[in-house]
Amino acid sequence: MTRRLLLAGVVLLYVLSIPWYRDADAAVGVLWGLPDWVAVALGCYVGAAVLNAAAWLLTDVADAPPDASASGPRKGDAQ
Amino acid sequence: MSFGQLGVAALLVYVAVVVAVTELARRARVDRTPADHFLAGRGLGTFVLFLTLYATAYSGNSLLGYPGEAYRRGFSWIMSTGFMMSIVVVFHLLVPRLRPLAVRHGFLTPGDWLRHRFGGEAFGRAVLVSCAVLMTLALVNFLLAQLTAMGHVTQHVTAGAVPFWLGVTGLAALILLYETLGGMRAVAWTDAGQGILMFLGLAALLLWVLSDSGGLAATTEAIRAMRPEAVAVPGLRELANWASTIALLGLASVIYPQAIQRIYAARDGGALKRSLALMSFMPLVTTTVVFLIGIAAIPRLASLGGVEADTVMPRLLEQWAAAGTGSALLAVVVFVGALAAIMSTADSVLLSLSSIVAVDLLGRPPAEEATTRLGKRVAAALMVFAVLWALWPRVTLWRLIELKMELLIQCVPAFLVALHWSRLRAGPTFAGICLGTAIAAGAASMGVKRIEGVHVGVIGLLANAGVAVLGSLGMPSQAASFGSTGRVPRAHGLRLW
Repeated sequence: MTRRLLLAGVVLLYVLSIPWYRDADAAVGVLWGLPDWVAVALGCYVGAAVLNAAAWLLTDVADAPPDASASGPRKGDAQ
Repeated sequence: MSFGQLGVAALLVYVAVVVAVTELARRARVDRTPADHFLAGRGLGTFVLFLTLYATAYSGNSLLGYPGEAYRRGFSWIMSTGFMMSIVVVFHLLVPRLRPLAVRHGFLTPGDWLRHRFGGEAFGRAVLVSCAVLMTLALVNFLLAQLTAMGHVTQHVTAGAVPFWLGVTGLAALILLYETLGGMRAVAWTDAGQGILMFLGLAALLLWVLSDSGGLAATTEAIRAMRPEAVAVPGLRELANWASTIALLGLASVIYPQAIQRIYAARDGGALKRSLALMSFMPLVTTTVVFLIGIAAIPRLASLGGVEADTVMPRLLEQWAAAGTGSALLAVVVFVGALAAIMSTADSVLLSLSSIVAVDLLGRPPAEEATTRLGKRVAAALMVFAVLWALWPRVTLWRLIELKMELLIQCVPAFLVALHWSRLRAGPTFAGICLGTAIAAGAASMGVKRIEGVHVGVIGLLANAGVAVLGSLGMPSQAASFGSTGRVPRAHGLRLW
């Protein structure tokens, strides 16, 4: 559940990173040395990186499917 | 010592180190099986796996093509940080499902998944061959881009002492040597060193960009005065292109055969997820830096157009090197870091290509030593072909990336949808691949890159996935034959050749 919330947060930040909510001819200020809409996008990507990393650490990457038989080969059983 | 002499010396040291690592990898070889040659015996731990993923993902395209594109487009190229990160996000759809199956069934190539998933169906072979052909075309294109970038960097780092053609052919021969002798182990170990070198080089370059340009704010104001459109909020079409590029690269890059083979090559699931957690941060310290380099070049360099803009980074470094011996030395480190990044991507691409051609297209058994030998011969033939092509660059590095992704993305339903939806059938999947590829390739051949900012490959994928899903829904369900778990079918031991 936590992992899914983190991934939902990543998607939300991606949506916010694209300045679709700004007019193309709007005045552009400077924030952190960058055009403000660029700074916002970069901030979103920093947030997305943190949430995505946390989601990966909570991800279960099993080394065999749940229904794998105990005697079944786990590695290198090339066909 | 001049910049060119420093560059030649650094190049020789780099080549010597790579040859030494190759010898170590050759001695570490356990046997001559394809699993040992192409997947390093499935034993890559967190540290090496992370660095090889990093060095493979960030290529000549990233270090030469992306600054060039930032220079051409302006600040909207911040999208590059987003799309490079989207790859690690989309991996959530692939890794947790594919890794357990790969371990259990000993997958060697991406095609092994397709064989496993669709092997028992009438159009299973067609899905496998079509995806293998698309992957081969995309990878040859990718290899071509790396070789072109290698030539540019070598020529600049040696101040012309090593010309473009010699850089391409000489370094291609070096890649072929260490890959043939050391396989994936040599590739991963050199990738690890090359990843560190690239990271250090970019850190040095970032410091220079920030200090020498009078700060970011001054650069932004200078660009606003010169090219106000580069600072303005992007228009609707550019916003659509931003979203489309994130979709194109995020989806297509997880289908990179070399990325899939690293999922197979990980020592265990823990190492894989820790590596991917670390990879989440790399776009911030890599892509953002090269984006800033391209931006900083706008007020510094006179208008460069087309293919010429791909030389933005070498030109900036030449300016930096002219400031003194210390700067020249650091500039050489950056150059060699860039070269290392390019080489590390080229070697991974070549290794994947040779395994796909040998196993998936030529149908050789993945467990026999003869397949390893065939893979090495295939690698040599492909490299000769790519070198001859690379000696005459015709399109920008970014366009090469787009062309590759537009083909590769047509394989997405056969991987991502098939992993998550047991009703997907081979026939509709093959029909979808044909339709999507026809749209993407047809539009590209007519010179149409995007429609209202959306890549033709993404439009092709929508049609492709629609046909695959709707066609599968219209066929009788095979769920009962998949067992009570409803998981995707496993064609144990079934091969199509």
